[in-house]
Amino acid sequence: MSNGKQLSKLFGAQIKMMFREKQVWFWNLFFPIILMVIFMVIFGGDGGSEFKAKIAVVKSNANSTSNMLEDYLHKVPVFEWKSEQVVSKEQADTWIKDKDVDAVVVLPETEEATALELIVNKENEKSANTQAIRGILDQFIQQSNYAVANVQPTFKLEMSAVSNGSEDLNYVDFLLTGMIALAVAQGGLFGMVDMVEMRRKGLLKRLRMTPVKMGLFGVGGMLVRFVLGIVQIVILAVIGVFGFGANLHLDFPTLIVGFFVGALAFNALGYFFSSFSKSIEAYMGMANIASFLMMFLSGIFFPTSGFPEWLVPVSEVLPLTYFVNGIRDGMVYGSGIATSEFWTGIGILGIWGIIAFALGVLIFRKSKVEVR
Amino acid sequence: MPILEVKGLRKSFGTVKAVEGISFTVEAGEVFTIIGPNGAGKTTTLEMIEGLQAPDAGTISINGMDWSKNAEQIKYIIGVQPQSGAMFDLLSVEENLDLFAAFYPHSKQAAEVLEMINLTEHRDKRLKSLSGGQRQRLAIGLAMISDPQIIFLDEPTTGLDPQARRNIWDIVLKLKSLGKTTILTTHYMEEAEKLSDRVCIVDQGRIITVDTPAKLIDQLTKEREVRLSFLDGEEAAIATELVAQEQPTVVRTSREGASLKLWSVQPEETLYFVFGFTKEKGYRVEQVSIREMSLEDVFIAFTGKEWRD
Repeated sequence: MSNGKQLSKLFGAQIKMMFREKQVWFWNLFFPIILMVIFMVIFGGDGGSEFKAKIAVVKSNANSTSNMLEDYLHKVPVFEWKSEQVVSKEQADTWIKDKDVDAVVVLPETEEATALELIVNKENEKSANTQAIRGILDQFIQQSNYAVANVQPTFKLEMSAVSNGSEDLNYVDFLLTGMIALAVAQGGLFGMVDMVEMRRKGLLKRLRMTPVKMGLFGVGGMLVRFVLGIVQIVILAVIGVFGFGANLHLDFPTLIVGFFVGALAFNALGYFFSSFSKSIEAYMGMANIASFLMMFLSGIFFPTSGFPEWLVPVSEVLPLTYFVNGIRDGMVYGSGIATSEFWTGIGILGIWGIIAFALGVLIFRKSKVEVR
Repeated sequence: MPILEVKGLRKSFGTVKAVEGISFTVEAGEVFTIIGPNGAGKTTTLEMIEGLQAPDAGTISINGMDWSKNAEQIKYIIGVQPQSGAMFDLLSVEENLDLFAAFYPHSKQAAEVLEMINLTEHRDKRLKSLSGGQRQRLAIGLAMISDPQIIFLDEPTTGLDPQARRNIWDIVLKLKSLGKTTILTTHYMEEAEKLSDRVCIVDQGRIITVDTPAKLIDQLTKEREVRLSFLDGEEAAIATELVAQEQPTVVRTSREGASLKLWSVQPEETLYFVFGFTKEKGYRVEQVSIREMSLEDVFIAFTGKEWRD
């Protein structure tokens, strides 16, 4: 039988095996879908809800300063007062401890005092809410200072969010493309479990007794994984776009190159893991560690820009970082194929793939001698 | 020219000497059985012949070809059913056959093989729903799919029930009638006797003897064991034993209650005499038999060891 015919038979058989395996369905389709939906529901939002903070104001002594500040505070639209009236310190403390309010503002006790006290629950000390309230109060104090000094500020900040490609890139797009990259990467990392199983059951040995070219068998398997990857991309994209209003700006050459190189690289990593895993458990452990590390360090769910400085270099060596960038280049930024950044990323992915594959082949060759 | 010629095969795993100098030849069309207890080196020998393991020393010639030079051509003319029975569990019976057929430039039709291994009605079943015997038949079917000249069956009946074993025997006999050469390993002596043209008994990595089952048994001592049991109790047995001992053809005797065992170099003559005596005395004989010698006796005779299945 010719190579082409043999390959099509091998492809046909392997695609049947792939889609008959329930685990494949769960881990490659349902799991990423569920994960994406959860993240989108929690963090995606509809973008329309405005920031509101619940506060309580403590005024232990009525004087002109505290009266004036109380008045001004009432006018800040994002502050929602737990009680329309000022409350006692004790009452406010209780609310803070029970997290009934986000923050308590203590007005100055004397007319001459200039400090305004902000109290928050220790658990929320570093939360985005606290940061925002602090920022607003800073602004508020500044405005009050201007009012007292009777000056007009010279500079004003106007903020709007932009991205480098489309104007409407939002978190949903970011998360959707992240999930697609993660799903395809996991397909590769976990997908080589068959190799471990085939070796354990003696199927690899059985195939070596036939004239089949193992290379051709591998090519057939890889083609099947590409099909699975395309199915993953389409299903996740459809859910993202129609379910959560994601906006895609597809650039097919970029997407195809990114997907192709990425899928090869992660399958090569899976192959490398399979070369030294004696059992399915060992393999799955390895794939899980790799997948979890990369999931959080490669900017799948959140941008890597918020990372502490020492973590950035780690993120910069991981293949998933470049894969997800490539996918985003091809799916939302609508740019990429012409940029050197894209090709650098593809190059790094390729190097990961080549090294992993070469090591895998080497280890498989060595262990072959020991087969009994 | 023999279709398979093995000379001075040796293989060690670390300090364990699995095979220590095995040589034999197999002619085309033969069913050649390698038999021996577990760990005798059967599978290692087979795997070296199948090209899965390189021997430490010795040569293997398959139809005049050599693994180092003609690996691909050898794979075209051999079919292997390994002990592990590894197949694609997520594919059906027929899909497995079709896939393996794709590995070869020429192969049989799946339908024809299904017929031979009697799995036509289970062709669409996934492997997990097959019984042990059906699985094993498929494994043999996969070995046959390329229509090879030599078929290797490594313990095809181990762990199967008697009926399933007999089904496998039928397939082996069919292969023989098609003129295929079959190399079989087993640790069931009965199977070796039934199926083989020649038997090669191995123990501890060495060949003990090679010959046809009948000749191997013939080589054994000429004494046969004759068993009698009496309805009239011990007395009849004692009296018969006494007269039998006077017979020159009877080598020795043993008795347990009313059952008597006689070892005779001419069992027919001994029986003729014994029945003359019992008729004269009016003793009623309940059971009588001449035990057939089996390959187990050959093994015991050659190794001095007990045979265990």
